Amino acid sequence: MNEIIGIVIAAILCWLNFVIVDTYFGLPEQPGVKGARIVGENVKKRGGDIAGGFFQGNILCSPDASAGTLLASIGYFLLGIPGGIIAAFLVFIGNRLCADPGYAGTVGSLTATMIVFVCSFVGLTPEMFIVGMVIAILTIQGIDQVRASIILGKIAQKLNRHAKE
Amino acid sequence: MFDLVFDTIFFASYGNVYGLGNITLSLSDVLLAYIVTMVVSIVMALILRVPLLPSKPYRYSFDVSALYPTPIIAIGIFSIFLVLNYTFIYNGLVLAAAIGVLSALFVKYLFDFVFPKPLDDDVGEEMQ
Repeated sequence: MNEIIGIVIAAILCWLNFVIVDTYFGLPEQPGVKGARIVGENVKKRGGDIAGGFFQGNILCSPDASAGTLLASIGYFLLGIPGGIIAAFLVFIGNRLCADPGYAGTVGSLTATMIVFVCSFVGLTPEMFIVGMVIAILTIQGIDQVRASIILGKIAQKLNRHAKE
Repeated sequence: MFDLVFDTIFFASYGNVYGLGNITLSLSDVLLAYIVTMVVSIVMALILRVPLLPSKPYRYSFDVSALYPTPIIAIGIFSIFLVLNYTFIYNGLVLAAAIGVLSALFVKYLFDFVFPKPLDDDVGEEMQ
């Protein structure tokens, strides 16, 4: 498959994977640590959505499904499917060190491993997923944090995971 | 006369030591070993009276349970052995069962010591 097209498809798949897993496990609902609350309130002050802000703060402060997807792609690139599972295990340890129960991170890594495995049959390589995940995180945290937080807040509302406060 | 390191490695890799090309795990063996690891870890955790599910609310609970994180730890450690090509006898099934038992023991007795629960918000504020 053409590299550019593959990277675009991989970026979309990674984005959907980590946003859906993270939202399902309640990242927009409440900040896990104080840093996440500060990020969320700052984003809200600049006109964003508080749930999206909590989401951005949470994926900044501990390895959730975003880091899980990235590390699972790297593990799959190096060692195949066992590499993805080792990535899930390491993400779990990292989560517990960051005061996070770790459900989102481990489930995200395992689903990402499955996605990379399934997509390897249609010609998407793990390298494309590594690049795609970096692009996907850039769209959440890098380009326009306020607009990204509004989109994340809408997704959270659809999945019934909007901030309770 | 008595080479401890060699003897230990020879014993542990009894099935592998005569050449890796001879004995390789097929995909079904690996799959079976993963399933054995998960089932043994969950069953062993239940025998040790670890609860099946974490306390409510599920998504914010730090409590250990038989379904999470016991199988995650078990399959993670088993994968490390697998990529090191260190699968011991019976197509890795013995290693899989041993890792399942050990991870259940770890979750029951050592987990809270290695990964303590985070402090409450108020306590954290006092400490700053």
